[in-house]
Amino acid sequence: MSIIQQHTSATLSDAWRTINIDALTEDSSLNFDTSTLHPPQPEISEAEVRQLAGQVRQLLRGGDPEGALRGCLETPVYNGEDAAKDAHMQTIIEVLQSIKASDMSPLLKSIYGTEGGSECLDVLMKYIYKGMAAVHPGNASRSPTKDASQGFSQVGGRPGANEPATAAMSVLLSWHEKVVEVAGLGCIGRTMTDCRRV
Amino acid sequence: MSQSLRPYLQCVRSSLTAALTLSNFASQTAERHNVPEIEAQSSPEVLLTPLTIARNENERVLIEPSINSVRISIKIKQADEIEHILVHKFTRFLTQRAESFFILRRKPIKGYDITFLITNFHTEEMLKHKLVDFIIQFMEEVDKEISEMKLFFD
Repeated sequence: MSIIQQHTSATLSDAWRTINIDALTEDSSLNFDTSTLHPPQPEISEAEVRQLAGQVRQLLRGGDPEGALRGCLETPVYNGEDAAKDAHMQTIIEVLQSIKASDMSPLLKSIYGTEGGSECLDVLMKYIYKGMAAVHPGNASRSPTKDASQGFSQVGGRPGANEPATAAMSVLLSWHEKVVEVAGLGCIGRTMTDCRRV
Repeated sequence: MSQSLRPYLQCVRSSLTAALTLSNFASQTAERHNVPEIEAQSSPEVLLTPLTIARNENERVLIEPSINSVRISIKIKQADEIEHILVHKFTRFLTQRAESFFILRRKPIKGYDITFLITNFHTEEMLKHKLVDFIIQFMEEVDKEISEMKLFFD
């Protein structure tokens, strides 16, 4: 039997070249278990997040923004479904948006001064970055190449100039600046290096 | 500088300063090799959480830090089709001359217009705050450059 006959269409294709064999080797550094880098986190369900959001809103209405912010920063959703994580992020962004610009610094300073305040601000930093990362799904529909039917329009206003997303971004950016002022660059470093991601 | 641009650039500046803490790290997969871990993606424990900084949905920066390299991707503002073409031509001009820019990556990350790759060898040779200044200055200038080119275009 000729060796040629043993080829099938599967062996003749070069798809096997793209297989990452490191992933199949158990000892490879690619298969490092990153869950060993942090202690196990309690799983938080969406219902618990909603309940917390209700309490936080009540605190906000009661005129206690510091308590509201602390309340949601003390229980970050590290381990949970995406829906729970997103709901918690929404709660935090809501709290951040409802606090006046002039109250930011004193509020952050008083949180930072208390016990566990530095951890709270680290969590806040994580959510600020997550909030900024969450904006892009919307942009695919408004890419300039999409509305080619209008020809080369220059008059069209800058997309995203007056949208709620832009307003939310500027709130997050000013919070970011204030958090760095109070807690220093270390909280960005801890956001990057912490494997407990929100 | 416009009022809304300042907090954006300030945020990028502080994030970059925090991210540019690199050390020499030899590859764990190939002996006597030293590769930027963020590109190789071969050891998950040395890749850090990527950070996104957005001013609005059309202007954002992605910082992907790792132990020995940082990848910084910038999405430049493109309000209309002409700006889209101009940005494309401009970034293509730069990336084709990537050797003379040292930290420029030849190909941008998907979804972004231009990408820089800073490794520990760059931070050893160059001053860290100057690198940060360069990126910030680039971001400031590129918007001006694009709108200027658009004016000449008419």
